[in-house]
Amino acid sequence: MSVDYMLNVGEHSDRNIEVHKFYNGAVFAVCLLALVFQAFLHKYGRWAELIDLPLLVTIYFGFSRRNPISGMFLGGTIGIVQDALSHDNPIGMYGIAKTIVGYVASSIGGRIDTEHPVSRFGLIFVFFHFHQAILVITQRVLLNHSARFFTWQQLIDSLVTAAFGVVLFALLDRLRKSS
Amino acid sequence: MIEQIFRRPIFLLAIVVMAQVMLLAYQIKGDHDVRLIRYWAVALVTPIERVGSWSMSKVGGAWSGYVGLHGARSENEHMRAELDQLRIRNRELESQAAESQRLAAILNFRDAHPEAQMLAAQVIGSSADPASHTLFINRGDRDHLRINLGVITSEGIVGKIVEVLPNTSQVLLINDKDSGVGAMFELSRTHGVVKGSGDPEPHMDYVVNDEKVQNGEAIVTSGEDHIFPKGLPVGTVDAASPGNPFQIIRVQPAARLDRLEDVIVLLTQQQLAPLKPAVTATGGAAQAQPASQGAAVSGTSASEPAPAKPAGPQN
Repeated sequence: MSVDYMLNVGEHSDRNIEVHKFYNGAVFAVCLLALVFQAFLHKYGRWAELIDLPLLVTIYFGFSRRNPISGMFLGGTIGIVQDALSHDNPIGMYGIAKTIVGYVASSIGGRIDTEHPVSRFGLIFVFFHFHQAILVITQRVLLNHSARFFTWQQLIDSLVTAAFGVVLFALLDRLRKSS
Repeated sequence: MIEQIFRRPIFLLAIVVMAQVMLLAYQIKGDHDVRLIRYWAVALVTPIERVGSWSMSKVGGAWSGYVGLHGARSENEHMRAELDQLRIRNRELESQAAESQRLAAILNFRDAHPEAQMLAAQVIGSSADPASHTLFINRGDRDHLRINLGVITSEGIVGKIVEVLPNTSQVLLINDKDSGVGAMFELSRTHGVVKGSGDPEPHMDYVVNDEKVQNGEAIVTSGEDHIFPKGLPVGTVDAASPGNPFQIIRVQPAARLDRLEDVIVLLTQQQLAPLKPAVTATGGAAQAQPASQGAAVSGTSASEPAPAKPAGPQN
């Protein structure tokens, strides 16, 4: 079994799904920049914490490539690097959450409209809380931390992230190869 | 088997998640740290962060410099505008202070001569003819002015009224070639006539060559012209030289004839009491103690008629 097979599983599984391809290195560069900005912007104030850039990138490439396996690995990798950069999180906390988010985003990307800004806003909002719920479960069950499932701050964060995500997704659409 | 797993991605998801759960458990239970993953993650990200920090500091420095420069420029413009306004305000205040001093001098003069009827007037213009030394004041027939009334300042005599219009009057200055004022030396009491010659400085005529005249000697009115009361300052001797048949005496007028703004019209020829040194000297106005401006305006303001006094003998 080759890596090509892994990356093309989605296309083999459902040939009716429109799969968007990106320029070489675009996915890697965007993911790296998202991680860098997320770590970098924290230096410039609390406002940067409102937006979860790695999560947005995970969701976007999940929607666009519509390959659950690549979405899962991409989300997992981004999550693990995010854990590694956090310096206090055990490796795997964000990794698990983003692995599942990447998988689910890729899975539903071919079933519902993920191109319209309104649907993007709603999906990002839902995925934000889904991601948050996985994190809380992980913290409660595996780490024995008393994390809360819902806070008003999370609601604000999810709205800001969703609004920002709509703009970011429109920008990332420009990196797609025209079919 | 492996192909089965990849054909059913949910299994793969479960495996990946389980692997990460085990990794978490390994870290938590054994208190181990996965340094290698952290090392590579940091090694991957920090060079870009370093470049980003450097760029941000440069951009931020350039931006703050630009903003600072822009702020300094706008502040400079604002301060220049404020300075211009303050300069204008300063000129206004200087002008008001000078006017205040003039009015104070007039008031002092009036207070020094309560026996005389006088009316303050403002100079509103001068003759268009350069050879003619005349000026216009803002008092006229409606203020009961008449021809041949004397016009003075607190420093000395100025001239006489030669034309009266309803609201204005024309004053012939003592340095006009048609002017003549009966005068005498204050100390020697030698009489003569101060006449204009067309120059800024008038001359004193009819003083014989034998008379000793000293530069700086004060000249006062003699009262013989029936215009000015006796004893008002005319000026001082600027230069004296023998002439034929009389001395040629150049007079420095006591009043500043080239910068008159406020004057006093004497409504009577009644002799004035001897003036105090502060107002008889040429610098009398400057030395006079400034009175309150309100009092000056209410009494002898150039813009308002002076309060009427009991009518006295007027020529």
